[in-house]
Amino acid sequence: MKTLLTLIFIATCGFAGEPPCCRAPLPASPPTDKSLYLLDSKWTSDVGKIVQLGVLRGRPQIVTLFFTHCEYACPITVNELKTIESKLPPEVLAKVDFLLVSLDPNRDTIEALAAFREKRQLTRERWTLLRGSEDDVRELAALLGVNYAQDARGQFAHTNLVTLLHADGEIAFQHLGLKQDPTPLLAAIGKAAAGARR
Amino acid sequence: MLRCAFALVACVGFAVEPDMALIPAAKYRPLFRGEKDAKEIAVAAFQFDRRAVTNSEFLEFVRANPKWQRSQAKRLFADERYLAHWAGDLDFGKAGAAQPVTHVSWFTAKAFAAWRGKRLPTTVEWELAAAAGFTQADGTKDADFQQAIARWYGTPSPDVLPDAGSGRANVFGVRDLHGVVWEWTSDFNSALITGDARGDTGLERQLFCGSGSLGANDRTNFPAFMRFGMRSSLKAGYTVHNLGFRCAKDP
Repeated sequence: MKTLLTLIFIATCGFAGEPPCCRAPLPASPPTDKSLYLLDSKWTSDVGKIVQLGVLRGRPQIVTLFFTHCEYACPITVNELKTIESKLPPEVLAKVDFLLVSLDPNRDTIEALAAFREKRQLTRERWTLLRGSEDDVRELAALLGVNYAQDARGQFAHTNLVTLLHADGEIAFQHLGLKQDPTPLLAAIGKAAAGARR
Repeated sequence: MLRCAFALVACVGFAVEPDMALIPAAKYRPLFRGEKDAKEIAVAAFQFDRRAVTNSEFLEFVRANPKWQRSQAKRLFADERYLAHWAGDLDFGKAGAAQPVTHVSWFTAKAFAAWRGKRLPTTVEWELAAAAGFTQADGTKDADFQQAIARWYGTPSPDVLPDAGSGRANVFGVRDLHGVVWEWTSDFNSALITGDARGDTGLERQLFCGSGSLGANDRTNFPAFMRFGMRSSLKAGYTVHNLGFRCAKDP
């Protein structure tokens, strides 16, 4: 109950700040040749804001594709991301964001994403949750190297992949598979954080 | 079958584009499926290019869309080998005008299709069209077609590609789905097999959420396995010498 009250307090007062996707974007600079910020697709966050991925420029992003109805790997993936969050030293943590993008735009409405954020206690200042059109999700997945298909039960089979984007949106490191040693990923995040501009 | 497709055109009044064939609605049996997945997928009727997109058509596209010219395309959307066989941005050099364009990425193929007011076919649409024989929609019952497929897939790619559309038409009037070049599909990245060494050693369960129960439906359809494996090894920016595309469109 106490948690709930705190959450309501945070939600209504905006006390904890806005998610990374709601920050004022850095002045536009031409994206580098391999930057994912070249994409002009539009995405909606769980707080209802419509953005292009370029708004995330300036800070490294730890990205994974997921869906809230997932029964097998996604809860583990999000747990792993939270473990990584807990293992990062404060000075690194202050310079990186986490980005979850839904594979399941039909069921992952803004409300479903917001409920997921609350249920999994994803810190508002650090985690962005996005949904987009099926075509745009397919395109983003293709860029990240995530293969996926939906089965008859509505579950998505998908590559378990965590991608680190550097501050300008290029892929800096990829962590493939569940329950792998996170040490290389943590090291790569530390390195990318040094390039943060905000 | 074909006659009723045309009758349908006449009745509901949609026109099939001159260079496209109408593939009638049908059921497709997926090559891989989970135990609880449906045995068949219903596929709506669609229009499909009768042949692959050619170098000269692609030249028109890059002329109209300079950002897709060889020297202009962003590396995110097409790798270093993009149009490597051309002589320049607006010159396909020794490549034949009527040969299928290759060395194109998924993004470039998608952009071409959108420019033409079309789209890429889904994997299921492509496979459905490719399963049709010379004389009937179910190619497994067409002995000539089966022989031709076996011959095609057992022969290495020719050094000089034949012109697009020079092969024998299938029952729908679509040519060269087998035997010339591989082709992009809109959801090529729905193939859940990995070429990664770790994936081949029993770790799939860690790599793919939910893939543990996928089983093959027809183990004898070797060419389909080859295509499946080929698609699963691709990335969207890859450009390859024997990979081209053709477009689809809703009727």
